[in-house]
Amino acid sequence: MVIHQISLIINGTEEGLQVPSNMTLLHALRDKLGFTGTKNGCEAGECGACTVLVDGEPMNSCLVLAVELNGREITTVEGLAENGKLTPLQQAFADLNAVQCGYCTPGMLMSATALLRRNPQPSEVDIQEALLGNLCRCTGYQRIIDAVLKASRNGGAK
Amino acid sequence: MLARPGLPDFEYMKAESPQDVFRLLEERGGEVKLLMGGTDLFVQMRDGNESAGILLDLKYLPGMKDISYTKKKGIKIGAAVTLNQLSAHPDVTNHFQILSQSADTVGNYQLRNRATLGGNLCNASPSADMAPAALVLEGEVSLSGPDGERVMALDQFWVGPGKTALKEYEFMTAVCFPNPPSGAVGRYLKLGRSKMGDLAIVGVAVLGYPDPEVPAGIRFRIGINSTAPTVYRVPQVEELLAKAPLSDDILRQASGEAMKVSAPIEDVRATVLYQKKMVNNLTFKGLKEVWSQLINS
Amino acid sequence: MKNSEPSLIGQSVRRTDAIDKVTGCAVFVDDIPFGPNLLHSRLVRSPHPHALIRSINTKKAERLPGVRTIVTGKELSARLGLYLIDRPIFASERVRYYGEPVAGVVATTENIAVEAAKLVEIEYEVLPAVYDPVESAQPDAPLLHPDLGSYTVANFIFPEPGTNISENFKIRKGDVETCWSDCEAIAEGQFRLPPIEHVPLETHTSIALSEKSGQITLWASSQSPFAMRDMIAQCLGIPHNKLRVIAPLVGGGFGGKAGVTMEACAVVMAQAVEGRPVKLRLTREEEFVGTSVRQSLVSDIKVGCDKDGTLLGMELTYYFGGGAYNDYGVNIARAAGYSCTGPYDVPNVKADSLCVYTNHPVGSAMRGFGMPEIHWGLEQIMDQLAEQIGMDPVEFRLKNCVRTDDEIVSGMKMTPIDLEACIEKASKAIKWEKKEKPTAPNKKRGKGIAIMWKAPAMPPNPGSAAVVRFNEDATVNVEVGGQELGQGAFTVAAQIAAEMLGVPYESVTVSYPLDTKYSPYEWQTVASRLTWSMGNAVKAAAADARTQILETVADHWDEEIDDLTIEDGLVISFKSEREQPLDKMVIYGLPNEDFEGWKGGPVIGRGHFMPTYVTNLDPETGQGTRAVVHYTVGAQAVDLEVDLETGQLEVLNIASVYDVGRAINPDLIMTQIEGGAVHGMSSAFEELKFNESGEVLNPSFVDYRIATIADIPRKIHGDYVETPIDDGPWGARGVGEHVMVQTAPAIANALYDAVGIRFSDLPLSADKIYLALEEKINREK
Repeated sequence: MVIHQISLIINGTEEGLQVPSNMTLLHALRDKLGFTGTKNGCEAGECGACTVLVDGEPMNSCLVLAVELNGREITTVEGLAENGKLTPLQQAFADLNAVQCGYCTPGMLMSATALLRRNPQPSEVDIQEALLGNLCRCTGYQRIIDAVLKASRNGGAK
Repeated sequence: MLARPGLPDFEYMKAESPQDVFRLLEERGGEVKLLMGGTDLFVQMRDGNESAGILLDLKYLPGMKDISYTKKKGIKIGAAVTLNQLSAHPDVTNHFQILSQSADTVGNYQLRNRATLGGNLCNASPSADMAPAALVLEGEVSLSGPDGERVMALDQFWVGPGKTALKEYEFMTAVCFPNPPSGAVGRYLKLGRSKMGDLAIVGVAVLGYPDPEVPAGIRFRIGINSTAPTVYRVPQVEELLAKAPLSDDILRQASGEAMKVSAPIEDVRATVLYQKKMVNNLTFKGLKEVWSQLINS
Repeated sequence: MKNSEPSLIGQSVRRTDAIDKVTGCAVFVDDIPFGPNLLHSRLVRSPHPHALIRSINTKKAERLPGVRTIVTGKELSARLGLYLIDRPIFASERVRYYGEPVAGVVATTENIAVEAAKLVEIEYEVLPAVYDPVESAQPDAPLLHPDLGSYTVANFIFPEPGTNISENFKIRKGDVETCWSDCEAIAEGQFRLPPIEHVPLETHTSIALSEKSGQITLWASSQSPFAMRDMIAQCLGIPHNKLRVIAPLVGGGFGGKAGVTMEACAVVMAQAVEGRPVKLRLTREEEFVGTSVRQSLVSDIKVGCDKDGTLLGMELTYYFGGGAYNDYGVNIARAAGYSCTGPYDVPNVKADSLCVYTNHPVGSAMRGFGMPEIHWGLEQIMDQLAEQIGMDPVEFRLKNCVRTDDEIVSGMKMTPIDLEACIEKASKAIKWEKKEKPTAPNKKRGKGIAIMWKAPAMPPNPGSAAVVRFNEDATVNVEVGGQELGQGAFTVAAQIAAEMLGVPYESVTVSYPLDTKYSPYEWQTVASRLTWSMGNAVKAAAADARTQILETVADHWDEEIDDLTIEDGLVISFKSEREQPLDKMVIYGLPNEDFEGWKGGPVIGRGHFMPTYVTNLDPETGQGTRAVVHYTVGAQAVDLEVDLETGQLEVLNIASVYDVGRAINPDLIMTQIEGGAVHGMSSAFEELKFNESGEVLNPSFVDYRIATIADIPRKIHGDYVETPIDDGPWGARGVGEHVMVQTAPAIANALYDAVGIRFSDLPLSADKIYLALEEKINREK
């Protein structure tokens, strides 16, 4: 087994780590670096619970090898709030009860953060298209759509 | 056999030049699997359907992520161009709207940040969403091998479910599409079990363009997925449509012919009968939409 | 005591867990770090739905470097179970479903465990399998449990040894045989549902540690850590105080994390590698194949009414496909039996509700516990009957629905409810009277209604306990044993405690993770019972703490307790208008005059609740004084359209109205109603598919589709009414499960209205709908 020494810039901080070739970004984040906010839901790119931003774009961290990303910038759910201040999106999720069990929430937030950055005023359909790859079994999704709309009125992703 | 957690052991290598690829393939051929976006390969590896000693990443080869367009030659899209990159590219949206439309139906947004055009075509899945549009645009694939480069028409490329005409040690570098005939209008209609994001039960791409040479005044090209061992065109249907002035009846007749040609198998997604009926209905709908758009423009 | 109106009850306060969950701080089992000592494991699962195990050879696997141990069922004769103790932890003699655990491999890495699992050699002798519950109930069906007669069973469950029938619950009420002749109209039908999965986003995960001291700790994604401890402790002969179950937040349960799924496997593997924690994490594929399912059901229903549309009689047979073993299955058949009529007043009833073993995954509880299953047929046949006598479905339901104090099917007097109000509100919200145009020419539009009832289905005496602990600054920790699955149980607990104690809601924290070593007892987080039962316990614990505080202050001021109250963290006297802040005194007490000694001390309130009034039912007639604690009822009305070119459905509007008794937190009720409507809609399209050899064909999100964000109804209209019950906190009862019980039949009824075709079998795939539409068109030509 070949071990690669890589560095990832995670939530703005460079982290050096050693990973075997077959380690996905999901496992590198969770098992190597302790960023457990990123969830493992299917390891097949179908549920979106593991969604993180790679250089600002959402990806299923279960379908990306950590070694492929040497030197790249990764944002996880832990990197959203700064100094205890929630982003408008996080605030809207909390205010509108768009959270139930919370397992899909980090992935939802990452997909929606990327959406608001590329499209600050999304329509309901835009939100459905952007969050299609994030499954939720609890909320029925309407609150999540409402929260993204609310965040878009309150300053967007940041 | 159930899928395993995580990925099996392998060695990851990044190819910097085509020579890297050929050298490695020559030295350790049997162990090597070529990696593009990995959205299918990783899932297949978890399922135990694929294994590899080495995953050789082709994404970083020169030109693999480039899109170039000329009025004369059309568009050349690197095999490792992601579906999101493709979908949003102005040259694609301006001249090859149907590709953009097709790309947006694949999986979901974050998946399309990894999934590549080359991967979608090289998997040779009968349900590949990019394939019907690629067929009706009469694309050609550029293949690179130890003996050099060659170009192949897409309709020669797929030889069976999961099987392509790629030779040993050969890989796809780009897909080229000539400019569609002037005035062309395209639609990709896809039916899944969910409103969006599912694999296609049936997908139909229709390209129509004015052609005063034929009695219909319009020529259609039709590409269909998910209902035969490979994605296919229906030339006999296209001919039928060209032969007479267009009417709803003709479109219906043509759709019925397309249905006859289709050869779906029963699977966990749909029955044979439903798939056939949907070939009929989607073909009709696609033809009708393209026709109306052509008339109105 | 305080007489004023409650100030926090009825307020939509923010969820206690919202900030943790949006910042990535919320800890689920898989998030707990264990360090390099952690071992990993995989289960070897049966490739056959029914077979005898001839031999198991683990030698090759054991030789793989990194393998620490391989566990099989050879030395484990004890069985697991809740009401009927029938399930081995690892199958050793016989496998009964595709995916059943046969061995467990423990290794230093997950990859080694994966490789070793492939090397375990098992020889099987394949036996004939049976999947259909009706076939399986026949005398000549392949027998799954030849030892059924020797299993331990609860005294209210009646298995039939020598058959595959694990429960047969009977209702004999009135005289069904003669009532048919008085009927103007009779409707009969058979309705079927396939097994479906819970599909929580978090898969089942456990870590077990067996220490040399004999202490065993199990971290598990569990709805019911106390029930889990009880089942595993009993099975493995571990004293309860030596088995500690720690249950962090649960990433979705829906009943699938209520019993014991694979957690006992983790414990047994950990016992074989003392001193090292062993992790067992199910993949998504295993979640589909190897966990419990909502049981399949075949229901035969006959129902009749007189010329005015008044229901006269019902005859029912329910065949629940219980799967290979019973988790909750037998009690689901029982619950379906004593509620077999649905929310209707029917004088003559004959019903047999059977749970039948089949070679499918373990049948169990899923949101609604038997009620979505039986309402699928009931709510369609009521429409059929209404149509036969020419009555509007809403009018028919208003006429026949159950009312407060009615004697219901089990002989019990109906607890307070207002189902008519629910029906009226729901039908009004979708403009029931109005025939509306479809949104496109290729579509047909229709409206449908369905009503439901459900009682918490439990043993008669499930208890809840709670502790309320003050801190120095008068902030409060509430300790409960009920789990937060996303439904908002902790929020409601905090709200109730704050209300009773007179402290700000923000100063109350609910302690988690749940830990059987420290948390007070809770029977289980199931049956929509926490707001009601745990709510009562928290209320009692807070009242206890409040009394302690008031006694100390009353003594201090030399006043009467009745003249004091607590508001906003201050004890105040109505009489003397004196004030005493709670901070410090709730721990340090208050000094006597001139500091001649002290009074009071750390305030810890305790409370519990257990229903004491549920009675047994006659085994021959199913009749008794009080079968259940109470019922929750509701109505859903659906406005939908069907695409005639594809057979696809789109729900335009779903109105969903329930009688919640009292809304403690209105917005949390709405989130249940909305989530339930989508879950219920999704369930109408779901099916766990099997091939002829019992193998699951769709164990992934690709082929087991659940509703995505693009599939939701265009509008969900949620509402509730409040008819308080006498034994709930402020009259509240649960609503978490009810909100999806009748969604599928409401959709089916609307579909019938749209296209005139009755679909008696789930799922409602576009494929099936389209082909039925075509057949109808061809027939009518």
